[in-house]
Amino acid sequence: MEAFKQKFVEEATEQINDLEEALLQLDKNKEDMDTIESIFRVMHSLKGGSAMFGFEKIDKFTHILENIYDRIRNHELKVTPEILDLTFQAVDHLRKLLDETPENEQQLEQENKLFIERIEKALNEKTTPEHASIQDEPTEGKTKTYFVRFVPNEDIMQNGTNPLFLLEDLSQLGTSLIVPNISKIPDFNSLDPAKTYTSWNILLSTNAGINAVIDVFIFVDDEAKIETHKISDYNLLQDKAIKNILKDTLQQKPHIKPSEIHDLIIDLENIYQEKEEKQVKDESRKKVEHSISSIRVSSDKLDNLINWVSELVTIQAQLSLFNKENNYPGLDPIAEEIEKISRRLRDDVFSIRLIPIANMVTRFQRLVRELSNELGKEVDFITKGTETELDKNIIEMLIDPVMHIIRNSLDHGIEDSAQARIDAGKAQKGSITLNAFYSGTYVYIQIIDDGKGLDHEKLRQKAIEKEIITEDTQITEKEIFDLVFTSGFSTAKEVTNLSGRGVGMDVVKQKISELRGEVELTSKKGKGTTVTIKLPLTLSIIDGLLVRIAKTKFVIPLAAVQKIYEFTHKEIEESINNLFLADDKRVPFIYLRDALNIEGTPPEIERIVNVEFQETFMGLTVDEIIGEYQAVLKPLGRMYKDVDIVSGATILGDGTVALVLDPNRLINEYTNKENIGG
Amino acid sequence: MDAQTQTNKKNVSDQVHTYLSFRLGKEVFAASVNHVVNILELKPITKVPHAPEYMSGVINLRGQVLPVIDMRIKFGMTPTEPTVDTCIIVLNLEIENEEVKLGILVDAVSEVLELEENQIEPSPSIGTKYKAEFIKGMWKKDESFIMLLNLDLIFTRDEIVVVEEKTNEADMPQNEETGE
Amino acid sequence: MGKKILIVDDSESIREVVSFTLANAGHDVQKAVDGDDALKQLDGTAYDLIITDLHMPNKNGIELIREVRKMDTYKFIPILFLTTESQTEKKKEAKEAGATGWIVKPFVPDKLLAAINKVVR
Repeated sequence: MEAFKQKFVEEATEQINDLEEALLQLDKNKEDMDTIESIFRVMHSLKGGSAMFGFEKIDKFTHILENIYDRIRNHELKVTPEILDLTFQAVDHLRKLLDETPENEQQLEQENKLFIERIEKALNEKTTPEHASIQDEPTEGKTKTYFVRFVPNEDIMQNGTNPLFLLEDLSQLGTSLIVPNISKIPDFNSLDPAKTYTSWNILLSTNAGINAVIDVFIFVDDEAKIETHKISDYNLLQDKAIKNILKDTLQQKPHIKPSEIHDLIIDLENIYQEKEEKQVKDESRKKVEHSISSIRVSSDKLDNLINWVSELVTIQAQLSLFNKENNYPGLDPIAEEIEKISRRLRDDVFSIRLIPIANMVTRFQRLVRELSNELGKEVDFITKGTETELDKNIIEMLIDPVMHIIRNSLDHGIEDSAQARIDAGKAQKGSITLNAFYSGTYVYIQIIDDGKGLDHEKLRQKAIEKEIITEDTQITEKEIFDLVFTSGFSTAKEVTNLSGRGVGMDVVKQKISELRGEVELTSKKGKGTTVTIKLPLTLSIIDGLLVRIAKTKFVIPLAAVQKIYEFTHKEIEESINNLFLADDKRVPFIYLRDALNIEGTPPEIERIVNVEFQETFMGLTVDEIIGEYQAVLKPLGRMYKDVDIVSGATILGDGTVALVLDPNRLINEYTNKENIGG
Repeated sequence: MDAQTQTNKKNVSDQVHTYLSFRLGKEVFAASVNHVVNILELKPITKVPHAPEYMSGVINLRGQVLPVIDMRIKFGMTPTEPTVDTCIIVLNLEIENEEVKLGILVDAVSEVLELEENQIEPSPSIGTKYKAEFIKGMWKKDESFIMLLNLDLIFTRDEIVVVEEKTNEADMPQNEETGE
Repeated sequence: MGKKILIVDDSESIREVVSFTLANAGHDVQKAVDGDDALKQLDGTAYDLIITDLHMPNKNGIELIREVRKMDTYKFIPILFLTTESQTEKKKEAKEAGATGWIVKPFVPDKLLAAINKVVR
């Protein structure tokens, strides 16, 4: 700030000179609005800048003058000789204030005060007191619960406000429960994307005090209706049961009155207090007892549970369809409720078995750290997609194989010396990446190192040596790399301490086969090696987009879907190089009717679903988008084991079978082939 | 015949095999009921792309996805044209040590046959339209033969059940085996 | 993520302070001396945020805000205006013209950054 002080002084000096000139003008014509306006501006500007740059006295002084000239330009006050005189004196005073030094500071302070008083008296002007800030609640850091109803005006976005930022800010204050009320959203055709039709009921448990909550909305006071009430002195949201009750209440009664919430809260507070007391008792008991936080369940029971849930989801789809087609009064809310519950049930039951692989990753990180130290190699361990979930059992069984692969990468993959890497034009630090992702009904786990890679010619020689193949055997690169997984095929000069503990790549392959998966290795000499493990997802339900082409319905995993576009059939036919315009990018598309050999005449209007896989985009043409759909995945079975662009099937509410597409496979197949159909 | 020989004869021919016969075009085939789960009326079949032509598609069987095979195509005939008699026979087969359920699309289901061992004639190894290994045997009914199928084998292989030299038949005079 | 910000103020010292503070925080800051200058700069460049004083010659802040809101590309851009404590009338006018929020003068760098964070992310 000090650096800019000088600039301000220069500016202010100029402005004070301008002020002086303006006053001389004003003297000649006391009604000149323009001059008055510019005087006001000078005062305003000086006031604004002075406090910023350390001139508090000027700030206080110009404050009162600004008020006076504001009143003058609003015709509430007339320019009198007295005012002119005072203002001329003010010019001198201001110049003095600009020249403040530590020596004359005290004196100037006095003079300033006196001058201000003089003006006040002369004009009956009172310096308006600073805004009284709302009495701050002594927070004591105690967490309380508040209810906020946020009803933005339809046009709130036209002030450049993003209501979601406000919600974010609220949630940052503590634990929040945000329940949107979408009842006012009109149907698609009358919807104006520039308007906001949503309002929110929010419960917030925070120790920041009610002012912090109100402050969040400080800019939108005029653009929204905001009600803030403290509803409890306790942190109600930290109790899951209470949180759920409140959530349900707000969902069911979006227009609930604060007084009704108060009543509900009293009951909840009682529950909360009881729980708190019980907790205190429990805590002391815990020290003696070993509390059970988890229970063992036989896998079979769990499998059964999962099967039943899947059937429930399927038949629930039938119910929803039935409800849509027939109009039985009273069936609507019941069908909706069943859908809501079965969705939650599905989520909870499935999550019992699935845990993110992040759980096992910590083990690997330690391994890399210890090994790289031991081997004296600097290696970065990068993980991607650790939120990918896998069946708990499968994760347990994967740990050993993955550990071995990582060991291999560290031991044999990454170059022995940093110099070797630099010579090869690589970064000094080696990297091993663990990448996990879903594709269709499979989970992929890749271990990628940027080390020296495998020389497939050397491997071939080794294979000839071991008499696995002969000199003339035609063998593809993939097949050569597959040899790595045969027992006894280690190309390491010595079986090192670490990698050769009776756990070879052949054991890795076996373990993964037991999981009904596959493992594959690719490598480029000098560049690195990638080991890819592919595992089938056990019975699962995916969120999909249900679409139709001719008479067949397909499901595209929602996770891959980016956006949907509409085109006429003519536009699609005439597109050049099978590229379509996705917003402002040209994206290739596959004409699915051709790719899937579907007969019949295409409709006039077709849709393109833009899907994404590992940063590659591809459009898929369909006739119609039906909607979102929870697909219980069923395998196609042995007879269709060679079909890979369809990863499974699902049974729709009307009993017909829809096919689940694998966008990854589609993208792979058609980015490699030249024939993208159309 | 004395009582002893009669019993002996009976013992040998005691083996009764039950078959379900069905029609493909003008020809009749039969499958052992050990394999038959049930018979369904024709329902909407969802065609799976990139599959062999004889795979009609999949259907929903009480919540399970069941593949359906067009037997006519498998037997070298033109694809099935649905009629009111067309139906799907659901079979349980063992293929490469795995239990596989699938449906076969047939023009009509005929009758259940109870055949004794001695009524079954071996299928001739040459000259027939269909590859011998797929036919377990034949039974003569009235003027025609019903071919008893070796189902497990038929679905293990991708190929069509018809003998390649089928075109030569046209040149051959008087085909007595096909019994027409 | 650094944003592209336009600061509009006839006071050079304010322009400099704001620009310095924001540039230090990683943003790309451009300066305009009044409403007309601002409109010239807005044309053709994609800004993420506009900060403007209200009292300026040659098109003041309120007029600037009104005209910015008429521009297709800037219908929803966040706009903050600089104001002193006592200007409740002006605040209302600025909001009605389409401003998103305000920064009270005098301000310390943290306050400036906090206000920006409220409206642009």
